[in-house]
Amino acid sequence: MSAAAVPNLRDLYLVESGGIRERFKQSGDGVAAVQERAALVESIALQLYAAFVAPGSGAPQHFSLAALGGFGRKVLFPGSDVDLLFLLEDAGTEQQYKPVIANICREMWDLRLRVSPTTRSLAECGRLYRDNLEFNMSLLDCRYLAGDARLFARLHDEVLPQLVVRERQPLVQNLAELTAARHAKYGQTIFHLEPNIKEGPGGLRDYNVACWLALISAMEKRHTWPPAEQLLAQELRDDCRHAFEFLCAVRCFLHQRQGRDDNLLSYELQAEAAAEGIGAKAQGALDPAEWMRLYFRHARVVDRVTAQSIDGAAGARSSLYRSFQDWRSRLSNADFQVSHGCILLRQATAMEDASTVLSLFEFVARHGFKLSRDAERRVARALLLLRQCLPGVPGLWDRLRVILTLRYAADALRAMHHSGLLTVLLPEFHAIDALVIRDYYHRYTVDEHSFIAIENLHRLSDAEDPWEKRIGEILAETERPELLFFALLVHDIGKGLPVANHITGSLQALDKILVRLGMDAEAEDSIRFLVSSHLEMSMTLSRRDIFDPETVRVLAERIGTPERLKMLCLLTYADIKSVNPEALTPWKAEMLWQLYAASINHLNRSLDDERLHPREMESEATRLLHQTALEGLPAFLEGFPRRYVLTHSPAEVAEHLRMAMALADDPVQVSLQKRSQFYGLTLITPDRPMLFATIAGTLAAWGMNIVKADAFCNRAGTVLDVFYFTDLFRTFDLNPTEIERFKNNLLAVLSGEVSLAALMAGRAKSGGTRPAKVTVSPQLTFDDESSSHSTLLELVAQDRPGLLYSVSSKLAKHGCNIEVALIDTEGQKAIDVFYLTVGGAKLDAARQKALAEALLEDI
Amino acid sequence: MTKIEAIVQPSKFEAVKEELREIGVDGMTVTDVRGHGRQKGHTEVYRGREYTVDLVPKVKIEMVVPDNLVDKAVTAILSSAKTGKIGDGKIFISRIDEAVRIRNDERGEAAL
Repeated sequence: MSAAAVPNLRDLYLVESGGIRERFKQSGDGVAAVQERAALVESIALQLYAAFVAPGSGAPQHFSLAALGGFGRKVLFPGSDVDLLFLLEDAGTEQQYKPVIANICREMWDLRLRVSPTTRSLAECGRLYRDNLEFNMSLLDCRYLAGDARLFARLHDEVLPQLVVRERQPLVQNLAELTAARHAKYGQTIFHLEPNIKEGPGGLRDYNVACWLALISAMEKRHTWPPAEQLLAQELRDDCRHAFEFLCAVRCFLHQRQGRDDNLLSYELQAEAAAEGIGAKAQGALDPAEWMRLYFRHARVVDRVTAQSIDGAAGARSSLYRSFQDWRSRLSNADFQVSHGCILLRQATAMEDASTVLSLFEFVARHGFKLSRDAERRVARALLLLRQCLPGVPGLWDRLRVILTLRYAADALRAMHHSGLLTVLLPEFHAIDALVIRDYYHRYTVDEHSFIAIENLHRLSDAEDPWEKRIGEILAETERPELLFFALLVHDIGKGLPVANHITGSLQALDKILVRLGMDAEAEDSIRFLVSSHLEMSMTLSRRDIFDPETVRVLAERIGTPERLKMLCLLTYADIKSVNPEALTPWKAEMLWQLYAASINHLNRSLDDERLHPREMESEATRLLHQTALEGLPAFLEGFPRRYVLTHSPAEVAEHLRMAMALADDPVQVSLQKRSQFYGLTLITPDRPMLFATIAGTLAAWGMNIVKADAFCNRAGTVLDVFYFTDLFRTFDLNPTEIERFKNNLLAVLSGEVSLAALMAGRAKSGGTRPAKVTVSPQLTFDDESSSHSTLLELVAQDRPGLLYSVSSKLAKHGCNIEVALIDTEGQKAIDVFYLTVGGAKLDAARQKALAEALLEDI
Repeated sequence: MTKIEAIVQPSKFEAVKEELREIGVDGMTVTDVRGHGRQKGHTEVYRGREYTVDLVPKVKIEMVVPDNLVDKAVTAILSSAKTGKIGDGKIFISRIDEAVRIRNDERGEAAL
């Protein structure tokens, strides 16, 4: 830029930008900030235009400058692209203006403005670009800046309305497809630990989509531009405006904080935004979880409005889709009509009757349709009148029972929650409305978690995975599934109550609910049991050796009956699976099934003959000896704990014996086998120091995720370690040749040829250099009661690469034998349980104290 | 400033470019290259006879980014170029002392 043309432009831009930033910091008004920035950039564009296009002369003919996209809407965020349209009368004009277009763009770029220029003739603006629909959409936000005003008026008043009317169907269809693809990228959900507030579902782009669809619809009817402030339906405007204001403030904050167009609301920035009360200046500094609750409430509004807009535009979709929807509309009945996948009310007065209101949601639960905007509005109005009488409506539990057991119960419950009906019926549920558990593990708000849990159980009927089919069979056998679904709905209400233990809170809330619902006593007992015990199985499978008969006996006797066990197993499955999409790992799923199978066997046997179970266990070793009459077996088994024969099949024992016999030729025997959901690494060798820690370290260095380990030692000093691990990066699945390399690597580490420290240093955990998202205070607990043979050490700590290696090294240095290790991770929290012995006995108090001090110092 | 050189499979180039653009990496230099790491080439058949292709086609992407973008850029490349199989490529990271925009003599990060 020549300084003479527009002097001090850079200074002007920097000073004004600083002013906008400061005013935003003071007021928190994101909408004002983006409008001020749009005005600032417009003034710069105009000065450059005057300097390069028309220095000292009037406006040129056949050429004009317009703002597009966010700049056109006067919503220009600090890091956003500045979309400019250089509009030409025809292609012949282009050569004349090419140098000045280049000059304007270059100067704006040198000011660090991210200019996104487009040069088009009037005719080109009237075309549909199927491979660049974004350009067509950005024209819907065009705004005149400078130049030939009549040329721009032709674009705005003639070309664009004609384009929209002519190409409505592909425009809407492509917009819906682009939105669907964008939502698919973000997992079709607003619930993310670190949401993208522009592109994610419920974000600003969705808000734009809703406005564009409304604009297209209005233009088609009027053949001209509707007033911008009347685009969205009246009943949605206030909620949408608040959501837009909040999202604007958050995006401004993110751009200013990051110095660029970064729309990821990271965990750390959530805390900063909450501390500054971004989007909620009136409330001041907020707790991050409370601030995220606000975010999710607003995102939910935008998500619903967008979904309704797209459904409303369904007429523009393919004929196949319309045929499908028409077929579904045959499900209409005397009260409700289905059109384009939405439920309409046949009679305007239908919602004056409480029973019909419930029938409406039963219809949703049965067929999975959404409520039309009109039906939603009528339900909202009806609730004002029915608020008092609905909770006491006769047979309420019977109505809820039906809804809960229908295929689309979760959709119905969500619709009931959005309309406010659910909290009218169950006011206690309000405590968990959009409640956030901010631990970088729970991905969904607590209310949504409860709905997803119910959804996950219903989806078992479509399960294809063999394991899920087995769980589905348990559901089919359940006598009163409605009790299970209801327990899932209320099991976490206590999380929103001011109590130390959320289970206590949930039970308190449940007592109040049960008084109103009037179930039979047996049903009430079952639901109380499920809510009070909803963590029992998940805690047992991750923190106890489920192959220890004592563990199974304690759990089974606490549960009491096979029917309750079935329901608790299903609840545990649904509860874990609904924490986040990865929470129910294949390993956990397998362990849950094993625990269920062992417990149901225990209960069934116990009912027949209480004394049979232990005797059967005793006979197992003898049976094994007979079945595998191999030379050397007695000597091999001599000294192994009884747990060894209980947890291995005869074939496995025979294989272990074969490996032990080969020790004479090679002092380390390794076998790696792929099981259904995990790998099993068996290593047999004469006992040596730090063996467990070395194997754990090598597996960690290869990126393997250890989930369980068993260690056995016989009288001859032969050690048999079995590590169960999952292959996080699918290294072995995709590269079978790597298995041999891994084995050789392990042997080299054990022999000292390769340094384990160097090997582990080479495995930089992804994101390992970044600060932890949450801080986990280390906790250590010793338990001498839960096992007949070992002291249990339960360790909770901040997860980090090499933690297991570090802990197991320390245990070895303190002379502890690890009999069993159970390794679990919840987000960034490591929960490891070790069954420890010293000289075959439990740890004494002094050793426990010394060990605790050493471990706490290390972690 | 940091220079990132990523050598990726040609089929992954568009996805890598898109991911980098999304995190704010606007400038890059791209070259068609040939090479091999542990992958050691592969076997092709030509006129009925097998022969070994020692050097496998790859795309090399070079970019210089401000230090605060390095982690994000590496994560973006990993997430978009990874299949988990041998031959996915490599990322090399090195420090850059200075950058100069030739047009107007801007220096440092301003020149990126």
